[in-house]
Amino acid sequence: MAVLYIGAVVFAAGALGTLVRASTAGRLVGVELMFAAATLTFVAAAVGFRELDGQVMALLAIAVATAHTAVGYALSARADRSA
Amino acid sequence: MTGDQVPFAIAGAVAMIGAVVAATHRDPRAAGAALLATLLALAVLYASLAAPLVAGVVVVLALFATVPVAVHANVRAVPAEARAREAPVAGAAIVVCAALLLLIGFAVAFGEVPVNVSLRSADGYDLAALAGTLAAHALPAAAAGGLAIVAALFGLHAIRRAPR
Repeated sequence: MAVLYIGAVVFAAGALGTLVRASTAGRLVGVELMFAAATLTFVAAAVGFRELDGQVMALLAIAVATAHTAVGYALSARADRSA
Repeated sequence: MTGDQVPFAIAGAVAMIGAVVAATHRDPRAAGAALLATLLALAVLYASLAAPLVAGVVVVLALFATVPVAVHANVRAVPAEARAREAPVAGAAIVVCAALLLLIGFAVAFGEVPVNVSLRSADGYDLAALAGTLAAHALPAAAAGGLAIVAALFGLHAIRRAPR
């Protein structure tokens, strides 16, 4: 499926950004992209297997990604302010 | 290429290009905008994959989480004295948010919000019930919230015009 290739490209871009970027916010963007790619793959699996479990897992991954980004960005902003 | 495949192809291209730009661009404003475009394109892909709930969640999070974080990362913080002057604005925002939360609570408590819609339903999502809820409860709640915002803005304007 084309969706899996799109997810692979988005995941590769996120991994590249996480490894290459120097700033904390840039690395968080990379992690967010990797989470988005995993979510897309879950939804594609839900369509492929004709089950809705993948959509439930996608919602869980979205919640985890949002919490991770919020906590990570708050920590980085706090560190920048105290530095 | 059929009519359904055109938005899918466009959204896929935007998602891939936006992901690469968000991961590699040095300008944080451009990176934030590219991340937002990527998330919205992914929402289009979710909707085309018969996952409207996931698409809606992604759109809401992109607008209410990604945009504020991107703005916070790019906009320079105001000085302390200017922040003290903006205290009434923060108070008005708290009042408006509390009013909106109360409205949502009342809408859920007294309305018939289909929170028991099963994801495993063989008939799919209960879109008719969702549309009925939007027409019967969400629109009045949004109108009341809009009136609350207008009232708060008038109050803020009156506070600013009052002699000190």
